[in-house]
Amino acid sequence: MTNVIEVRNLSFQYEDGTKALDNVNFTLAEGETVALLGANGSGKTTFILQLNGILSGQGQITICGLPLGKDTLRQIRAKIGMVFQDSDEQLFMPTVLEDVAFGPLNQGLSEQLAVERAKLALEQAGLGHVLDKAPYHLSAGEKRRAALAGVLAMDPEILVLDEPTTFLDPPAQRNLLNLLSNLPQAKIIVTHNTRFASALATRAGFFDKGRLVGEGPIDEIVRRYEWSYSALPEAPDLRYSAQRRF
Amino acid sequence: MHHVLLDQWSHRTSPLHARDPRAKIVALIVFLVVLATTRAYAWLTLGMEAALLVAGVLIANLPIGGLLLRAMAVLPFSLTFGVVSWAAGDHVRAIGLVEKSYLSTAAVLLVIATTPLPLLLGGFEALGIPRLLVLIAQFLYRYLFVVSEQAQHSRLAAACRQGNQQHRRIRFKAATGAVAVLFARSYYRAEGIHRAMMARGFHGKLTALKPLRFRTSDGLFTLAIAGLLILVSTQ
Repeated sequence: MTNVIEVRNLSFQYEDGTKALDNVNFTLAEGETVALLGANGSGKTTFILQLNGILSGQGQITICGLPLGKDTLRQIRAKIGMVFQDSDEQLFMPTVLEDVAFGPLNQGLSEQLAVERAKLALEQAGLGHVLDKAPYHLSAGEKRRAALAGVLAMDPEILVLDEPTTFLDPPAQRNLLNLLSNLPQAKIIVTHNTRFASALATRAGFFDKGRLVGEGPIDEIVRRYEWSYSALPEAPDLRYSAQRRF
Repeated sequence: MHHVLLDQWSHRTSPLHARDPRAKIVALIVFLVVLATTRAYAWLTLGMEAALLVAGVLIANLPIGGLLLRAMAVLPFSLTFGVVSWAAGDHVRAIGLVEKSYLSTAAVLLVIATTPLPLLLGGFEALGIPRLLVLIAQFLYRYLFVVSEQAQHSRLAAACRQGNQQHRRIRFKAATGAVAVLFARSYYRAEGIHRAMMARGFHGKLTALKPLRFRTSDGLFTLAIAGLLILVSTQ
């Protein structure tokens, strides 16, 4: 199976001197789903922002055979669909339809084709009924699906989702899970929700202090790094202490 | 949220909404020029210009009170200069300054409230405004919403901690700190939006779903408005 993402010796340092990524090597095969786990600030989001050139560090990144560089940036951004953690940041146009059509129009598609693509993506995301609604009138789950539709409308080969379950209630998480599991694209899912990750991904990578310290089957990674909520210590009985005044 | 009201208004349907943005921009420019050259004490002319504006609001099916109220945003500035002119003994200039600035703002708001932003900016670009300026305008507009949204969140958070029940001096001090935090937070928020735009292939131009089409009716509209205004100004 061919690799759609190949990252070699990637390092990145923020302007304030914080070393966010340290010699990261990573591959993603066609159609594969990989979960990226790790503590807050361990470099997961910084890593995925490197993949479409929003941040750029030192090292080599190849996306669908194209080396990441200034000349290939536009093509690469069409190949990687990125769904950000905060859907409100991703939905910036006045109506849902216009927002979802934003990507296809940037790809140079005609208005008619962009609208067709947008409508199809919204249908796929189960949002065919909110075309003319303002994005800020949607529920959190709908916003997330609208953000995903905005990316699907660009027909990407890879999907990257940053904390896709944030702000979502259990039914909305289930809907999102069903939607994602039926999409053929290769996926990277950055999450703390290991149950959600296990349902979608077969492989996981674990970030610690900017380094990809572990890779393997997701269950093994979760066990190795004790990365599930069931691994939390048992909560003390707070029923009485809660009555105290601070 | 209330700050997106103008955006909502701009997506309504009316004969004025249906006009090409270029036709509305040119008509607006003619209106502003005629208004600026109207003598301050030419009450009849000013009244007719105001009536034309009100007719525009009614044709656009917009709430007249809401639009005229929002146009008052200019008053703190124009009133300051008006008061200075009044104090200097130039009463005619003071009144003229306030009324003209108010009517100008109402006219600009009428055009914004009847034209979705991408179309409006597309209209400016098509009329030869440099693309860089159009780009700055569209980001400024988007980020004003971001700042406003952040301000609402901060206000809510302060109210939840009873920030509005403190002494006025403490409230003022807290507000000044909050302004600094607000801009820092807005900066990060704006950065997030910019990243999301870049990730979806944004290359410096907001493309509208409806391309601009200047029809004969748009030309007639501009000519009619311009003619009417010139006629009014000669009264």
